[in-house]
Amino acid sequence: MNNPDLLVLGGGPAGLCGAIEAAREGLRVLVVDEGISPGGQLVKQTHKFFGNENFYASTRGMEIAGKLLKELSLYPQVILACESSVLAVYPDGVPVLDRRSDSTYLYNPTRLLVATGASEKFLQFDNNDLPGVYGAGAVQTLMNQFGILPGKSVLMIGSGNIGLIVSYQLDQAGVEVKAILEASSRIGGYRVHADKVKRLGIPVLLNHTILKAIGEKSVNGALITALDERWRPVPGTEREMVIDTVCIAVGLTPSAELVAQAGGQLKYIPELGGYVPLHDSDMRTTIDRVFVAGDVSGIEEATTAMIEGRIAGLNIVKDIKGKCNETRLEELKETLSAFRSGPTSSKIRSGLEKMDLVTQPARYVEGEVNRSGEFRGKLRPIIECFEAIPCNPCETSCPVGAITVGENINDVPVIDYSRCTGCGVCATKCPGLAIFMYQEREDGMALVGIPYEFLPVPEKGQSVYATGRSGEVLCTARVDRVTRSANKTNIVYLTVPEELGRDVRHIHVTNREESSLICRCEEITVEQVKKAIREGYVDFEELRRYLRVSMGPCGGRTCRLNTLMILSGETGVPVEKLSPGTLRPPAIPVSFGAIERNAKVTHE
Amino acid sequence: MKNKACVTIIGGGVVGSATAYYLAKNGLTDVVLLERDYLSSGSTGRCGGGIRQQWSERMNVRLAMRSVEHFKNFEREVGLNIEYFQGGYLLLAYTEEEEALFKKNVAMQQEEGLDVVLLSREETVRKFPFMNLEGLKLSAYCPSDGHANPHLTTFGYARAAEKMGVNVLTHTDAKRVLVENGKIRTVVTDRGEIETGIVVNAAGGYSHQAGEMVGLNLPTESYRHQIFVTEPLEHILDPLVISFVNNFYIRQTGSGNFIMGQGDRDELPGLEITPTWKFLKEMSDKMPRFFPFLKDVRILRHWAGLYNMSPDAQPIIDRSNEIEDFYFAIGFSGHGFMLAPAVGEALAEWIVFGEPRSVDISNLSLQRFERGFTREKNVV
Repeated sequence: MNNPDLLVLGGGPAGLCGAIEAAREGLRVLVVDEGISPGGQLVKQTHKFFGNENFYASTRGMEIAGKLLKELSLYPQVILACESSVLAVYPDGVPVLDRRSDSTYLYNPTRLLVATGASEKFLQFDNNDLPGVYGAGAVQTLMNQFGILPGKSVLMIGSGNIGLIVSYQLDQAGVEVKAILEASSRIGGYRVHADKVKRLGIPVLLNHTILKAIGEKSVNGALITALDERWRPVPGTEREMVIDTVCIAVGLTPSAELVAQAGGQLKYIPELGGYVPLHDSDMRTTIDRVFVAGDVSGIEEATTAMIEGRIAGLNIVKDIKGKCNETRLEELKETLSAFRSGPTSSKIRSGLEKMDLVTQPARYVEGEVNRSGEFRGKLRPIIECFEAIPCNPCETSCPVGAITVGENINDVPVIDYSRCTGCGVCATKCPGLAIFMYQEREDGMALVGIPYEFLPVPEKGQSVYATGRSGEVLCTARVDRVTRSANKTNIVYLTVPEELGRDVRHIHVTNREESSLICRCEEITVEQVKKAIREGYVDFEELRRYLRVSMGPCGGRTCRLNTLMILSGETGVPVEKLSPGTLRPPAIPVSFGAIERNAKVTHE
Repeated sequence: MKNKACVTIIGGGVVGSATAYYLAKNGLTDVVLLERDYLSSGSTGRCGGGIRQQWSERMNVRLAMRSVEHFKNFEREVGLNIEYFQGGYLLLAYTEEEEALFKKNVAMQQEEGLDVVLLSREETVRKFPFMNLEGLKLSAYCPSDGHANPHLTTFGYARAAEKMGVNVLTHTDAKRVLVENGKIRTVVTDRGEIETGIVVNAAGGYSHQAGEMVGLNLPTESYRHQIFVTEPLEHILDPLVISFVNNFYIRQTGSGNFIMGQGDRDELPGLEITPTWKFLKEMSDKMPRFFPFLKDVRILRHWAGLYNMSPDAQPIIDRSNEIEDFYFAIGFSGHGFMLAPAVGEALAEWIVFGEPRSVDISNLSLQRFERGFTREKNVV
């Protein structure tokens, strides 16, 4: 089958669901997967899923993989090839490396579904190349897929859902998790996941990070430190921990290389994890024959990945057969939208909106945003007080009576923007620091006022990092002005690109370890990158050519985004305005021998 | 952005950057260098990086020898280590025709003072035991040939030019050139206009399009050439090795990676630079036959760039007869990087002193195509 109707790249939840929809309508489908068994990340998920029972809620991820594979096996015209890696998407075909025979085979499918998932973000600290430093995905693969423990005592870096879940799984497997470090001042993941881990007695150290892995030949300790409000190590708080494994769980980034090689346009959308292929609600990329689904289309979770896969599959059926089950397609789209309407998906929603996809926000945000939108261009407060708590200083402090909490002090505030004068008093009064000032400007930028209670107070014109709701750096920004307040809640006004204005909620100045490696393949340090930028190499491709950063076997998966972040920090240009450079084939290193040998059509 | 300049150079590749450098070195610093993407983003940054003096045309040998003098002094003179390595060039002859041509060329090159020698098959095997040289007739070996890093060379020239006062504008696209009565007035870019009297077309793969901006129909067209790089290995291969009949070149870089490529006779002129599987497949079938140790070496990155071809596969370095003070250094036919130092120097002298002084480039004039010409034969 060298010309299948559909070639699915990646046999995870998205890819398998896409394949099932296509196979159901009789399409000839080939699914290729890198793993020794299909299922992608599902096979490592030992926890129960959230969501809606029609979409496997309350079922464990690894069981979902089995169900999907069983369903796919009903269709004889589907071939599932494991240990197979797609090398590139060339105009003259899609070469697949069969790793068992170390040989290649060229396919020319009618449609392509890229469901390649994500890769893990990497962190810079001293000795980060020491054996014993793992990504959370690697730990899950070793432990949950192969039954191998990574070590005996683990330090987890990152308290997002993955960091929390893997910590829980490590504990289940009898590994001691010494601590979870979180650089920001709040836990990144769902509260339920955090509670689960806390219940086990694993401390979550907020405002902490790792400075250095200790050890000669492998990790036997770690030096950690507390961070201040601006993510700077607090002198005197360093301490050593005796551990043998450092597990990094600081987020995922879409594996979009193959879409880019196919000619698909990428856009930097931090809310979705980095460079994301632009796609429409049918999951079609900017290249007609190429579809995406799952994490590659934006970091989310397995349930939405499965729905996206099915949407893509149905649209591929429609492309090839001229029609598909439209009712089902609409239902799937509605389900997807409903899944994303909750408060925990606000980041995803704002990310999707950046590629002009319509999302349906949760009800409480809906009213607020819409009414705020009518007053575009006016300096006004954005109230992010969604939880019913007994509190009303915003109401009582407003000089024109524009804010109402009402009789029950537990109610959330409602604002009448037609009466609001934009004075900002409410923002300085709110005990929860949940009121932000906002104004769209005509030049595509927005003014954001952040309630700020730290010293020193930044000065007008100073360059700072604007950070998002999870403390993630969104862009660099200039301080436009600072409104000082007697109660010491000062309002720092920043100018940021309008598309980020809704997400910028804090500022900080990072202070990364200069001598740590940013590119492990070529051994390039953060300091070298910064020095080159100061010498005038202010384009990613220039940096790459000058320093060889991201010229190694990983093709830049580990260091591209981090290099861009440094470039953004040093130049003040937001990451999304920087060119990410070219993502060259092959997607993984491949030997001359493997290319020369024709695969014995094992995929037939 | 500067809105007035004595000289505007179109193209931030190695030729444009070298010209800017030599202009400034000769005292002319009122220069703008325009690059629509980033420095070395075009053909320069995509090339193999070889520096060869073994040419079949005498004038090319001289121009290349002059360039080698500059490459040797580059770090001291320009201030950047460009990974320059004089490991030689080894040209392999497999046919009787090649054998005769090599003998003739080497005699001429030796007359020019080049340290080139002919090696018998046995001598070649003894010198390079890790290669499979089955069927080889003889080889031509010139130890003073070599290679360097094209990106760093471009960066070195551009940064040094900047330090002397040249304005380097990347991400600035020259859109139009306004000409009045045969005289250049203004270069219009997507970021503003530059009032200028002298324009240098160093647009590499886009040289024809840059000529059209002043109404000239320059005889160049571009062809895609593909290339790839492997993972790094211990240093083993000193020379850049070429076989014309087997259609390949290969070198090992300063960081240990092998870079190699071939020409494709089926390629049509155009600006497409997407790489193809066909190329990777053909090279993977071919290269381990000559270098058996490559079989298990992994390929890391694969890309393509443009050869800007002239009718005789030699550069065109000239000044327009129709448009006053419109200079061009174009049509390098895959050999721009190695010639850039001497070409940049000569062009800068022409602009500053009214004539090239350090090397004779009269054979590279546009007019040669009216007289009839000999095609350079030593081309992959």
